Amino acid sequence: MASHVGLVPPTPAPYKDNEPKAAEKIDYLNLPCPIPYEEIHREALMSLKPELFEGMRFDFTKGLNQKFSLSHSVFMGPMEVPSQATETIKIPTAHYEFGANFLDPKLMLFGRILTDGRLNARMKCDLTDNLSLKANAQLTNEPHMSHGMVNFDYKGKDFRTQFQLGNGALFGASYIQSVTPHLSLGSEVFWAGQHRKSGIGLAARYNNDKMVATGQVASTGMVALSYVQKVSEKVSLASDFMYNYMSRDVTASFGYDYILRQCRLRGKIDSNGCTAAFLEERLNMGLNFILSAEIDHWKKDYKFGFGLTVGE
Amino acid sequence: MASQSRKGGKNRSGQEGVLARVTNTISQSSIVQQGKLVASDAAFVTKKLLKSTGKAAWIAGTTFLILVVPLIIEMDREQQMNELEMQQASLLGTPPVAPQK
Repeated sequence: MASHVGLVPPTPAPYKDNEPKAAEKIDYLNLPCPIPYEEIHREALMSLKPELFEGMRFDFTKGLNQKFSLSHSVFMGPMEVPSQATETIKIPTAHYEFGANFLDPKLMLFGRILTDGRLNARMKCDLTDNLSLKANAQLTNEPHMSHGMVNFDYKGKDFRTQFQLGNGALFGASYIQSVTPHLSLGSEVFWAGQHRKSGIGLAARYNNDKMVATGQVASTGMVALSYVQKVSEKVSLASDFMYNYMSRDVTASFGYDYILRQCRLRGKIDSNGCTAAFLEERLNMGLNFILSAEIDHWKKDYKFGFGLTVGE
Repeated sequence: MASQSRKGGKNRSGQEGVLARVTNTISQSSIVQQGKLVASDAAFVTKKLLKSTGKAAWIAGTTFLILVVPLIIEMDREQQMNELEMQQASLLGTPPVAPQK
């Protein structure tokens, strides 16, 4: 995008300002490819929803090959059990997770298995240049809690479509199109056979070099708006607003994301009275120290965690 | 006579009688009653205010501790590293300060 600095002196004549802008006409046949529909809130999610945890976490990733790597991970800490009472019940658990990753330009395989019997598998395969297949599955010991999903993505010149099949007769389709170099609009439809629910959603995303604004509405009653402003190359501020018009639930949150040379610090404060911070500090090459803190003032629930990540 | 002795009685413990009557009237007067009510209300409100200020101070303090203190620490470290780099760059014969990001 050519900048207009130096092209137009800031004169009070308004018609002069419009001329160079008209000279840079938008080439509607050459629009960029939009972000995939499910990643439309990507920047806001990355800044506002880090992986907060409570307890101790240790991750070790070892690359055996250029394409193949193994990972070992230990987690010890209280896990929240959902309960009807207002008090949250925490049960101390510990588990070890073994994983293997295979990365190829055309094929990516990712598998994780935990000591409590859960298996997580993901696959992404580029069938052709434009068509790619993604699948993911989660298997558990408990009956009826396993699920899997298959996605077919087609990437066009300035649009993307996706078709989704899941177990339990879940069908979904989404389409997103770039309308101008900055604005892209999309919509999605889904049908869940098991719960006999169907829905339709619309989304819009406007992005600039400095900011990203997205909005999403779904017929399940959810309205989500987000705005991320890149204040400098190290700092970005994000805010998010979610409203459910069926259950009248409103949540607004503000956060910051500082990406410095030695660390990455993300902090956020919520309208539910929650504040959280997540720090990843690089102690050495390949050695990262993680600290996570979450305070919920209304429920008086305090969660602090620390961890270490070894490996690239 | 009886009235005289009564009067005498009243006069001997007359001082107390007068004092008691005066303090009674004062303590039962409406102003004093209202004053008492106001004082107890004020005490109640002050206690509540102190408690809620304490609560607010606690919330503000812990939120500041979680959100701002790591930020200050990290920005300070970043600044120190920058200064160190500038020093080293100037020591090594002033090469052009290339942004090594």
